[in-house]
Amino acid sequence: MRKQMVTAVIAAVLITSLGAEENKAEIQKGIKMPYMAFPMKQGKGMYSTKGKCNMCHSWGYVLNQGPQSKAFWRKKVIKMIDVFQAPIKNEDIDEVVEYLYKNYGNGKEN
Amino acid sequence: MLRRDFFKQAALIAGSAAVGSTTVDADTTTHPVDNRKVADIAFPQKRPLITYSDRPPLLETPREVFANPITPNDLFFVRWHMPMIPTYINPHYFSIKIDGEVEKPVKITVDSLKDDFEPVEITSVLQCGGNSRSAFHPTPGGIQWGPGAMGCAKWKGARLKDVLAKAGLKKGAAWIKFHGLEKPVYTKTDGFVRALELDKLHDKIIIAYEMNGEALPYLNGFPVRLILPGFYSDSWVKMLSNITVTGTKPKLHFMDHAYRVPDNECECETPDNLAAKTKPIEEMNVNSLIGYPTSGIQVKQGAKLIVRGVAFDGGHGIAKVEISTDGGTSWQKATLDDGTQGSYAYRSFRHTLMPKQAGTLSIMARATNTKGETQPFAEEVKWNRGGYKYNGIDEVTVEVIS
Repeated sequence: MRKQMVTAVIAAVLITSLGAEENKAEIQKGIKMPYMAFPMKQGKGMYSTKGKCNMCHSWGYVLNQGPQSKAFWRKKVIKMIDVFQAPIKNEDIDEVVEYLYKNYGNGKEN
Repeated sequence: MLRRDFFKQAALIAGSAAVGSTTVDADTTTHPVDNRKVADIAFPQKRPLITYSDRPPLLETPREVFANPITPNDLFFVRWHMPMIPTYINPHYFSIKIDGEVEKPVKITVDSLKDDFEPVEITSVLQCGGNSRSAFHPTPGGIQWGPGAMGCAKWKGARLKDVLAKAGLKKGAAWIKFHGLEKPVYTKTDGFVRALELDKLHDKIIIAYEMNGEALPYLNGFPVRLILPGFYSDSWVKMLSNITVTGTKPKLHFMDHAYRVPDNECECETPDNLAAKTKPIEEMNVNSLIGYPTSGIQVKQGAKLIVRGVAFDGGHGIAKVEISTDGGTSWQKATLDDGTQGSYAYRSFRHTLMPKQAGTLSIMARATNTKGETQPFAEEVKWNRGGYKYNGIDEVTVEVIS
């Protein structure tokens, strides 16, 4: 019993001192970012879309735009190319837009 | 639709956690999606938060945190624009470079910022312009945030004005550009650069090196970020590394195309008739959020229920917060805190209820600022294409058990 208590006290002291050093240590080491999986809906064009979008950002950034129209997704894809230099060739735009609309669409063309 | 029916429907939607699962019939504003679950994974220096993306990290603070007027650093929301964020910065080598229309370009280290300038402390709300975007229908583009893309912290730093004075502004100086260390994947791409008109510079704008008495967490902009009290967070540049003074308005994607609302009285438009002119979102409108209780919990009939939450605006100050338990027909004044944190901080409120009847109980909160501006009902909030500046009256629904 007594031994257990002593151990607990030592552990508590260790934890406290770790806490005080924590901020400094973290700044010295920097941080490690976790990876989070945002599963994509299975469908035609999934792998092609994944490769193109995930070059720069997570799939979460896409699916958390909410369900959108075909025109919206087309505009977004073109913005990614024009503003953010996404490596999507002109001939591949339709495939990406179709995949997005089919799987993350709101049923409206416009 | 009758108001009562509307709220029933809104409550149903609020209860569903799936992103974008809005089945509202008409294009009416609702309450934002509520009670989304926090992720299983915690980000560095953070507790698990509602996670929309890991790259760039987009993390939302759960509602219950807003039962208190200061948001702890490890629960503070996170929003980055670019996927490449430094995960290691040595604060001893880091510096802010100031150039452009200045007498003498300078580099200011974090130590210099702390030692050579008068330290200023300010408690201020930091809120994303798209906070609660999920309330708007049709769904505007952008992350479908619930109401937790905000927080309030005590910031400590040096006045931007003093730092600029070190370099000395040239006569033609008119705009200040801010750039942090976040980077796009392709070097050709425009970075996340923001600009402030020199006319809008004031003493409360600081470059902060402390947040709630600690170094800023990496994800909130370690080692320094810009603090613009009263303004939405789009210009609160994180990991601030470059300040460039210009003589003319710079052309910037994130100024010219993002974070803008219609330039008209109601700041509104319709999808079929978009406003031709837009303006930056800038000053925050009056808003409030109930932190406790959260929707879906059970409370005991006849037992004290202390409603708690926060209210804020763009710096004019909160005059009153009112609570309604009858869908907005009658209102009772809540008790406000002493306001000593200043008019840019959360003003916390509390109000004691004694639920008399078993069944569903709706609790609404409405803030009014010192200018007399008050929050509209959720369905009265007008649409804009960016889904910005939502400030509908908040509502939670609890179950009273006998």
